[in-house]
Amino acid sequence: MADENKDKAITSKRKVGVYICYCGGNISDHVDVEKVRERIEKLPEVAAVRTNMFMCSDPGQEMIMEDLKSGAIDRVVVASCAPSLHETTFRGAISRAGRNPYIYEHANIREQVSWVHHGDKATDKATRLVSMATAKAEQLNPLEPIRVEAGKHVTVIGGGIAGLRAAKDLADRGIKVVLLEKSPFLGGQLASLDQIAPTGDKAADLVSDLAGQVLNDDSITVHTCSEVESFEGYVGNFRLGVKKQPPEMDPEKIKPPGAAGEAAGEFIPFAGVYNGDMPSVPAEFTVETGVIILATGFKSYMPSKGEYGFGEYEQVTTLPELIRSMAENKAAGNLMEFNGRKIRSMAMIHCVGSRQIPGIHPENEGGYLNEYCSRTCCSATLNVSNIIRTSHPGTRIFEFYRDIRTYGRGQEELYEEAARNQVVFLRFEDDASPEVVRNISHSGDFPLMVKVKDTLTFGEDVGAPVDLVVLVTGVEPNTISDLVEMMKLPVGTDRFLLEVHPKLRPVELPISGILLAGTCQAPMDVGEACNAAGAAAVKAAALLGRGYVELDPFVALVDLEKCGGTGECVNACLSDGALNMVDMEVDGQTVRRAQVTPALCLGCGVCVGVCPENAIEVAGWTLKQYEAMVDRIVAEEVTA
Amino acid sequence: MTSLADNQSEGKILILATETCAYPGADSVGQAHSSYPANTFILRVRAPALFPEHFYLDCFNKGISGIIIMSCGEECPYDGAYKAMATRLDRVYVMMRQQELDIRRLRLTAICTVCNRAFLNEVNQMNKVVQELGPPQMAQS
Repeated sequence: MADENKDKAITSKRKVGVYICYCGGNISDHVDVEKVRERIEKLPEVAAVRTNMFMCSDPGQEMIMEDLKSGAIDRVVVASCAPSLHETTFRGAISRAGRNPYIYEHANIREQVSWVHHGDKATDKATRLVSMATAKAEQLNPLEPIRVEAGKHVTVIGGGIAGLRAAKDLADRGIKVVLLEKSPFLGGQLASLDQIAPTGDKAADLVSDLAGQVLNDDSITVHTCSEVESFEGYVGNFRLGVKKQPPEMDPEKIKPPGAAGEAAGEFIPFAGVYNGDMPSVPAEFTVETGVIILATGFKSYMPSKGEYGFGEYEQVTTLPELIRSMAENKAAGNLMEFNGRKIRSMAMIHCVGSRQIPGIHPENEGGYLNEYCSRTCCSATLNVSNIIRTSHPGTRIFEFYRDIRTYGRGQEELYEEAARNQVVFLRFEDDASPEVVRNISHSGDFPLMVKVKDTLTFGEDVGAPVDLVVLVTGVEPNTISDLVEMMKLPVGTDRFLLEVHPKLRPVELPISGILLAGTCQAPMDVGEACNAAGAAAVKAAALLGRGYVELDPFVALVDLEKCGGTGECVNACLSDGALNMVDMEVDGQTVRRAQVTPALCLGCGVCVGVCPENAIEVAGWTLKQYEAMVDRIVAEEVTA
Repeated sequence: MTSLADNQSEGKILILATETCAYPGADSVGQAHSSYPANTFILRVRAPALFPEHFYLDCFNKGISGIIIMSCGEECPYDGAYKAMATRLDRVYVMMRQQELDIRRLRLTAICTVCNRAFLNEVNQMNKVVQELGPPQMAQS
């Protein structure tokens, strides 16, 4: 891997270093990376070209840092995956080498080349993208981030276990917190559970303990029955409009808090902790905050009518309903009772609403499938089966599953325990789901029959007569389309909120200052949700710890030598106060010229397009840089 | 070392893709491994309103055969930028007609972060147009 073309006539003032990534074959399987290197070495502005299996690895980053430190290069281009993944990684490496991080340009040769083009065309296009990047890099200047004051204040949206954990962790670091919860209760979906697998903790105890700490912490202000209605600002200086209103509640399911004399802080089963705050009339207020943590949680999948007999047979229910029934009816007995009926035999059907397969499972009304694993339901089901088999040994259980995924510490033991408890397991293939039918052959005895081709007995057709069918329903993201719309939040194809990077930046969004906590991001168990919440709290504290935040320096810059004071830019500007005409001294004369207020400038560039004198630019994204890139698109010599 | 795959005669398409919508949208197409013509070159832009009228004419003059502006549309994070740019584009179309350039060579569209089908559709349509029209010929170069 030669890193320098010594025969090249250097005609550029800059020394651009180019670092091309193989991405472990993701790029190099389709792009001839070494050929790209050979071609790029010939460009006049390029001083060094290196390749690496993974540029984002420590050795890859160190390669860049060493070249900067030795003075071999003074501008950096990395050609790798999408800039959303690693632009900050490489800017960070440049900073660690003691250089300005804005001397960097990214060439996206994975998502926009090797994953969509093949053969010579991929190699040629990669070459052009890299040459475009070096042409831009040649014109990059060091920039200083814009520093703005940031209030040490965080708003947590969602009062489930993740929101509570994040709020408490932040308060413990001396940061003021506002916690917004749309329902009248704290505890979220965890409050709808009973005994938590695999530890056996009571959900009520976990919620009561943490919600109590939150309610008793002077640094945390809790607003229940409150939803965000408007959003503006940027990291360090967000402004949320909040509406607080009397909740709509199903009195069949939940009694209005206070009606039964509940005190503030009391846990109401299957609802959560009531904080004594029940508005009688709607009210609106504003929250000014530095960081927002989204802990908007999940909802349980609701089967469609007819799915495994749901809604057709009264003996078909869901796992959350079974858990609630068991918690409300703890009477001992040989047989479990459900809705007043003794259950001699029951079926649990796994993966309902999870791991759905296109072409096999019907799409939801919204036209989507839940192709992901909900992760928590296998253990939850086994835990319930063990409780039933222990408390009601006469109730037989058949578990119908595609795969059992008891992935965490202490969870595999639940499976072994279930086997010891004589739970009968039957396994079905993806395209051969069990059928729930009325049990005609034994009319009056067991009302339902669950039929399946059982792969554990080499494809035998098996029928289990049962009194009850429990659908092990998965999780779905909560509907937060208003927040998604307002805050421009990225959403994955699974409809959960999408982090910047699943491994390296797992609780961050591309929008600086907005973080993720818990199951709004993916299915998680309680411990995982608390982990994510703790991580979000630390990230928030780190962002606000210095009392100021640094914003990208990509704002308008006026070239006073060219500015003729036409005021066109001020007229076109979209942000009030970002551009103004001011009097200033130029060559001993008082003239009116455009002046930028950086903290208010959006960096959109509308002013650039209207200036008749080309006297204004957006730093880091200048018109000249774009023109140089276009020149490289059409240049014949680049791929020669 | 000469390559024929990158033949100039294919007609090059410049795509101005907004960094908050269309650029991640193009990445999403990559993540789905959906192939599209390789004569496309995406520039990441904060808002296409940055480009003055002459930029587009200069691009055609340099030999770019087609330009797709992939904006955020109604999702534009800069309130008013989309309208300003659309107005400016009307003037660009007038200038293109003066230069006897087919206005199908320049297209404004909105692409979201997961608009894979729309992205592919726009790229394939523009590719058809540039194959049909051949290289741009300006009346007054």
